[in-house]
Amino acid sequence: MLKIFQETLEAFKVRVTTIKVTPWLAWLAFLGFLLLGGLISGILIFWKGLVITNLTDLVPWGLWITIDLSSIALSAGAFSLCAAVYLLGLKRYQPIARTATFIGLIGYSMAMLSLLLDIGRPDRFWHAVVYWNTHSLLWEVTMCVVLYLTVLVFESMPIFAGFEWFRKRYPKISARMEQLHNYAPFLAILGLGLSSLHQSSLGAVYGVIKARPFWFKPEMAVLFLLTAILGGIALTLFASMLSARLTNKARINDALIERVAVFLGWLLVAYFYFRFWDTLAMTYTYDPGRSEGLEVLTSGALSFNFWVIEMLFGIVVPMVLLLNQRTRSRRFWRMLAFALIVIGVITYRWDTNLSGLLVVMSYLPGEQLVAYTSYRPAFVEWSAGFGIVAFGLLAFSLGVMYLRVVDHRLTEPEHETVKVKVRETVTA
Amino acid sequence: MTERDINRRDFLKLTAAGAAAVAGARAIQEANASSGAPHGEYQWVMVIDQSKCVGCGYCTYACQAHNDTNPDIEWNTITRTGSLDDKNVYLPRPCMHCEKAPCVEVCPVQATTYRDDGIVMMDYDRCIGCRYCEVACPYQARSFNWEGFTGVNPVVPKWGQPEVERRPRGVVEKCSFCYQRIDRGLELGLTPGVDPDATPACVVICPVGARLFGDLNDPNSEVSQLLATHDSYRLRENLGTGPRVYYLPAEADEMES
Repeated sequence: MLKIFQETLEAFKVRVTTIKVTPWLAWLAFLGFLLLGGLISGILIFWKGLVITNLTDLVPWGLWITIDLSSIALSAGAFSLCAAVYLLGLKRYQPIARTATFIGLIGYSMAMLSLLLDIGRPDRFWHAVVYWNTHSLLWEVTMCVVLYLTVLVFESMPIFAGFEWFRKRYPKISARMEQLHNYAPFLAILGLGLSSLHQSSLGAVYGVIKARPFWFKPEMAVLFLLTAILGGIALTLFASMLSARLTNKARINDALIERVAVFLGWLLVAYFYFRFWDTLAMTYTYDPGRSEGLEVLTSGALSFNFWVIEMLFGIVVPMVLLLNQRTRSRRFWRMLAFALIVIGVITYRWDTNLSGLLVVMSYLPGEQLVAYTSYRPAFVEWSAGFGIVAFGLLAFSLGVMYLRVVDHRLTEPEHETVKVKVRETVTA
Repeated sequence: MTERDINRRDFLKLTAAGAAAVAGARAIQEANASSGAPHGEYQWVMVIDQSKCVGCGYCTYACQAHNDTNPDIEWNTITRTGSLDDKNVYLPRPCMHCEKAPCVEVCPVQATTYRDDGIVMMDYDRCIGCRYCEVACPYQARSFNWEGFTGVNPVVPKWGQPEVERRPRGVVEKCSFCYQRIDRGLELGLTPGVDPDATPACVVICPVGARLFGDLNDPNSEVSQLLATHDSYRLRENLGTGPRVYYLPAEADEMES
């Protein structure tokens, strides 16, 4: 964080001396502003406690859990594309996987930040690693996230090794980090295993809660994994295309992106199918709690989110845009489709969390009384949340400018059958 | 060491086999873990007679005093559920101390666990405040310490003296069946449910005797006798959580004016 601030401050200094406001500096200043707001909010939250949020005992999870779930979901491009490249052997997508890995690293860091804010005792964040409750989905998710973040750090080492200044200053370390690329297939296996586990388990965190019938169903895990892959790849492609539009430091290959876009289009069809049955199945017979949850989602407080953002613009529109060759080949429509998918996935996380929590099931006997509650994030929740998002955007922007994270011309050495040389000395 | 060729297919096979073995072992272990609370020498249960409860709220005050809770937090709540022959019917709700407690299952750090006498305990030193247990509890029996409690407890000393340490900000808390009174009482040779000093504060304070406490393992205890001879029900029984709080439904001829 401090380093980021220094970067921002330096950017300001340059601005003062040359008095030439480039869009890049303005962008850094804007992110710096949000980061500062986030930092102040974070300090305020640690100082005053969660009482200053709008979270309650009835809605204990809100905006931050949505940011947490979304940033993990949108990082799923890393494992799915790495698996495609290194396990299925679709090597031509390697440069996209590189971008996805970097985004994954950022996404998981964002998730960690929002979790630190969200838990009541951030000083005890390490407890899950030490005191295991293997029966808890949340424990499993925490362990997988910690382990996978480690995998991501290793996977992105070669990216950091490419930083000009670093390579000149520490050529030996840089070469060693570059070498890690040889282990990419093994890291991809680890990543695939850990990610399929925790991306599904995040859905199951909700899916196993018997007390809330709206969540209590096995398809939560399936839908979360599917939407994660969808959103993760879409974000990677959107970010790549946007960067290429804004700076010549990013280079993309449209043919490559189009191929992945077709895959995303069909994945949307699959998601639509599952979501259709998920929703339709809940309309059969009245089930206290479940029916009310569906009502909140389809005709209540969340109905605009559900019908317009999730269904129409999150699924149907991008599906058409990506499967139709004419719109897919146009950069604008393709980018729009990717952006809509990302927004749809975030909204799905938000809606799922709230449609379960807003319905308060009664424990009174013989009564099917169901009460409703409401939740609107407090200002401090928003400002802290924006701070986390700004951190992600800044990290990605710096990556594009200095680490060539979006460069589809890059081709890396072959590694189909890796010859692992043990104790080999690295020659720089 | 020499050069080694690692075949990807073999590596994948090995990984899959390893994962399957681990998953299998876990599944067997898990089956044991899901079986719920262990059964020790005692099985504490609470019986609440709705014919007698007048909704005075003394139990809530006594609980807040003895357990020194934040005034915003009620481990024991009372709801008016309806009326019978113009008389109000109330439902007091402590923690159910479930046989198969969702909170115990979901806690990522084992901060909430079963005792072998059935009490579902909280470890406030271990809780990270993720609030998953609150989301999972079917009875809304759990409260989060949104802020620290540093002030004067308004119900002390009128309703009792604090017997346990205050919880810090940022952890979840709930009714503990006054385990401190039970444990101390047993040490002194008293019988929980019979001797007031060994019985939960809410049971002791109740002016109409609507709450009873005792050991279900002892067939002669008052609670065992009552449950054997009376119709009783438990909350959200369909969920299979096996609550240890039993209710005797309100009956018109047993209700006093």
